[in-house]
Amino acid sequence: MSAIMNQFRPQTGAAAAASGAGAWQALPDPVRSVVLRLLALALLCLVLSVASDAFLTSANILNVLRQAALLFLLASGLTLVILTAGLDLSVGANVAMSACLAATVMKATGSITLAVFVGLACGLAIGVANGILITLIRIPPFIATYGMLWILHGITYWFMRGETIHGFPAAFRALGSGHWLGVPIPVYLMVVFLVVGAVFAQRTRWGQEIYAVGANPEAARLSGVPVKSRLVLVYAVSGAMAGLASLIFLARLNSAEGDIGEAMTLPAIAAVLIGGTSLFGVVGSVFGTLVGALILTLVLNGMNLLAINANWQPVVTGVIVVMAVYLDNLTRKGDGR
Amino acid sequence: MRDLTLDTPSGDGMRDLMHRLRRSGSASGALVMLAGLCVLFGLLAPNFLATSNLVNVALQSTILLLIALPMTLIIMTEGLDLSVGAVLTLANVVLATIAVKTGGVGLSLLSALAIGAVFGLLNGTLVARLGIPPFVATLGTLGVAQGMALVVTDGQSVVGIPESVQMLYSGALLGVPLPICIAVIAYLAFHVVLYHTRFGACVFALGGNREALSLAGVRMRWYLVAVYLISGLMAGLAALLLTARISAGHPTAALGIEFDAIAAVAVGGTSFERGKGWLLGTLIGVLAVGVLRNGLNLMGVSSAVQVAAIGFLVILALTIDALRERNV
Amino acid sequence: MTTIPPLLELRGISKSFTGVQALDDVSLQLFPGEVHMLLGENGAGKSTLMKVLCGAHTADAGEFFHKGQPVTIAGPADAQRLGIAVIFQEFTLVPYLSVAQNIFLGREPRGRLPGTVDHGLMRKQARAIMDQLGMTLDPGTAVATLGVAQQQMVEIAKALSQDARILVLDEPTAALSDNETDKLFRMIGKLKSQGVAMAYISHRMAEVFSMGERITVLRDGKKVGSRMPHETTPDELVSLMVGRKVDMSYAREFCKSPGPVALRMRGVSARSGIRGIDLEVRAGEIVGLAGLVGSGRTEVARAIFGADPVESGSIEIFGQRQSGGPAQARRLGAALIPESRKTQGLALIRSVGQNLMLASLPRLFPRGWYSPASAATLANELIERLRIATPGPDRRVGVLSGGNQQKVVIGKWLAAQSKLFVFDEPTRGIDVGAKAEIFALIDSLVKKGAAVLMISSELPEIVNVCDRTYVMREGCVAGHLTRTEMSEEAILTLGMHHA
Repeated sequence: MSAIMNQFRPQTGAAAAASGAGAWQALPDPVRSVVLRLLALALLCLVLSVASDAFLTSANILNVLRQAALLFLLASGLTLVILTAGLDLSVGANVAMSACLAATVMKATGSITLAVFVGLACGLAIGVANGILITLIRIPPFIATYGMLWILHGITYWFMRGETIHGFPAAFRALGSGHWLGVPIPVYLMVVFLVVGAVFAQRTRWGQEIYAVGANPEAARLSGVPVKSRLVLVYAVSGAMAGLASLIFLARLNSAEGDIGEAMTLPAIAAVLIGGTSLFGVVGSVFGTLVGALILTLVLNGMNLLAINANWQPVVTGVIVVMAVYLDNLTRKGDGR
Repeated sequence: MRDLTLDTPSGDGMRDLMHRLRRSGSASGALVMLAGLCVLFGLLAPNFLATSNLVNVALQSTILLLIALPMTLIIMTEGLDLSVGAVLTLANVVLATIAVKTGGVGLSLLSALAIGAVFGLLNGTLVARLGIPPFVATLGTLGVAQGMALVVTDGQSVVGIPESVQMLYSGALLGVPLPICIAVIAYLAFHVVLYHTRFGACVFALGGNREALSLAGVRMRWYLVAVYLISGLMAGLAALLLTARISAGHPTAALGIEFDAIAAVAVGGTSFERGKGWLLGTLIGVLAVGVLRNGLNLMGVSSAVQVAAIGFLVILALTIDALRERNV
Repeated sequence: MTTIPPLLELRGISKSFTGVQALDDVSLQLFPGEVHMLLGENGAGKSTLMKVLCGAHTADAGEFFHKGQPVTIAGPADAQRLGIAVIFQEFTLVPYLSVAQNIFLGREPRGRLPGTVDHGLMRKQARAIMDQLGMTLDPGTAVATLGVAQQQMVEIAKALSQDARILVLDEPTAALSDNETDKLFRMIGKLKSQGVAMAYISHRMAEVFSMGERITVLRDGKKVGSRMPHETTPDELVSLMVGRKVDMSYAREFCKSPGPVALRMRGVSARSGIRGIDLEVRAGEIVGLAGLVGSGRTEVARAIFGADPVESGSIEIFGQRQSGGPAQARRLGAALIPESRKTQGLALIRSVGQNLMLASLPRLFPRGWYSPASAATLANELIERLRIATPGPDRRVGVLSGGNQQKVVIGKWLAAQSKLFVFDEPTRGIDVGAKAEIFALIDSLVKKGAAVLMISSELPEIVNVCDRTYVMREGCVAGHLTRTEMSEEAILTLGMHHA
């Protein structure tokens, strides 16, 4: 917990202000940004609990947490990528391919371990490929990952041959739909990776270098930071997390077909942006992405509870993404960046 | 030192074309790819080289061309329009619904154009006035359009398209199929606009050197919005052809076509930086994508794999481009 | 002196940017048919004056008069209306448009259909202008395929096509060959006979005397002298240009016995424009690298640090071959304090502490665990040692003053334990008091055995601080001056082109 709280260490000297307003101004921007979002989250919960009786039931809350956990796992790696002012549009397709590959292996060999390994390895390999396209061949990130998206889509459909694979061993399914002490397993994973992600970003040398690359890649390069390696690293991590998310998803759905997970790209990006990470890099945190994932999941959950046509969901997500970027633009201009 | 890569011509007529073609690296690259694909499928795919099939390829490429032409302009301004597919789909379902209700072409076309215009303006405003990066802005509008298409149709197809609309795809003018006529007119229009108007010169400048425009006292933002608006309008027009072709309005009709369009533009040699653009290259690229899809279709390969193949083609084209830049 | 009023007159023009007075009460007269030469060192205000003339900047104070009538120049449109055209050094050309299209960008002749452009007419008109300049290019060629010299000619053609009555040229011959320079001068002669008034910025004495009717020297944003060519000499002009009033209340004990060789460059050439660079810096010395803007000094610095690739020659840092990128240079003990600290030296949005650590992360945290506490301790040490004015290491670097930002950059390399420091304009944009501190800092570095190569455009700095200096001119090392040989005049003379 201290690793996370240390993100919020107030500025020395300035935090001694006694009055409330003074203390608020004194907090560093990352802290303020997260607190605001936590407030938004709380407000959202309040509104939803009033609007729908079904909201505060334990079944619903657990469901929300499970969904948010999955989204967070996917978005956490993406956060690192966006911190470097890059983008990974292929995460959804990555999930699809990794899940289908894992499912195929599991059906063929019956081995859960092998399947897990394959899923993770696939996600990682895709991430590395993205990184290489971007650093060595210098294709702009959004083009490279966009092209990769379609390639993965195609390959996945090809080896799935339009079929669905279902029925996985119970032990595997527990990963996605199981509980331990009443809490869904994905939530534990969420917490684990929250800590791992936060520690990596804030408490390791590589995390510092990643923030530096996002802040000013040229200055980082001229300070001897191996910019290209770090970029490949973040895309690799994003890919690996997509691999992990694909396994959870697979476990929960208990089936795999060509297009699973593809619709997750937009929500993943949305979660990162809502969580306060800027598209232009360097501003943001893994914890923020968690809050963002929760907010988005709650909004969509609310829409479900209020029986709003599910087809509106991508619309709402799209609008939220654009709004988040616009607000980000506004506040950054104020920053004088 | 400016790099001396020979580039695409700024177009002063066909007489220079052959000359420029020989000098221009990326241009010949596109043609070589097209030729290579034709040879490949001539060998591998049954009936590829049959006249009826080739005519079919040309016919089916018309819709993509209508989308790829404005996409060329957008990419030249260092932007991207990811929403065309969704907008096209939305226009398709709306047009279909209205066509079924009114039975006429006029109102349906108008509605499709209107939808295209609205989304085009929206994209343009987000990018040019609010400064939102194009891929985010259009990704957002993609979601909006896609969702709306589902909402409007509630997931169902719209059928019962009147004859008058269907004629647009199957009809012919002086023996030339209507879609091809429309495509040719569109191509000529874009050619004139890009190479023979100030608007076109400004499009080059928006990607190549925006400062030159502001020093010349030109209102940049207006032109940028206009480029996205045109993209939206063309999507509306394309929706007419699409509706005629599939004789239906389907909520996922054209999702993903933007990728084919971007691929066509990239393979055709238009660069993602520096305002380098080549309409003829886009035409070649569109044909290349069409040939690729057709050939793979004849070989029984599924649609999704076709898309993967297109992706490989794009990355190949971009890689060659990057390597060539490095070696000069 | 005739009684024709000047075509354009500036009176008392002043312009300042945050903290820097770029132009201070400058008055200038441009007469029709005359070439008015503008001379001055780097930073004297010449390019600011040009930008004010063409409306790219608005003057804070002062008046403009056109044919004796008061006018305002508030933007490019005003300047164009007055018939003012500028030939810039940074190209304003669109790469994938043709020469003709670039020349007429925004002013294309209309074609038959509404909205279209008459290409044929445009090419003919372009051809006409290009013929006057002796350019044999096809007007339909895309600009991106042209070399630098040809692109400069296109810029000139562009300005000429605007039927300008007042033409401003910023070192137009810098990129041109002798042949093209001749053509340009013939063109200028023609314009003179047509009554066009010209302001011409140059660093080449030969041009100044052969082409100019009038010479004005700027220094520190002020006009320090106006002469006719026949009543002055190159030496007098040089002495007007130098001798700036700089509060250099800093005296230094020069190096008596330099230590081992820290940097040795032999025959280094790079695509960035430098050719055959030979130089040497020893421990304990502050070696200067002087020269005009564009002479290649920054390119040399970047080549040393591996920021730009080197085509030929060898660079040795402390005896080790440097052939890689910045990471290797850092490992060998080199440090680069770049010219634009805000864009290349610092991450403005990050804190002082984070910037201070940027070059030392692998050294301080070899196993990967980053400890904010130890980083903060080290940061505080540096802050104290360098006397950086900040309440603490968490303050965002972007809000610090220029001098303190520079200290952070230096501190970054101190933390990396570098021993060879390459400074590129260390005191640019820094107030007088902080300058002295920076020099004291640099001195303390060499006193402790480090080696320093210092690029500076401020001649008094070079003369007062450096043990010896190299002077660069147009991409090569033009000469070397020892302590006794060094003077501002000597440096400037070596740096300018005397053909």
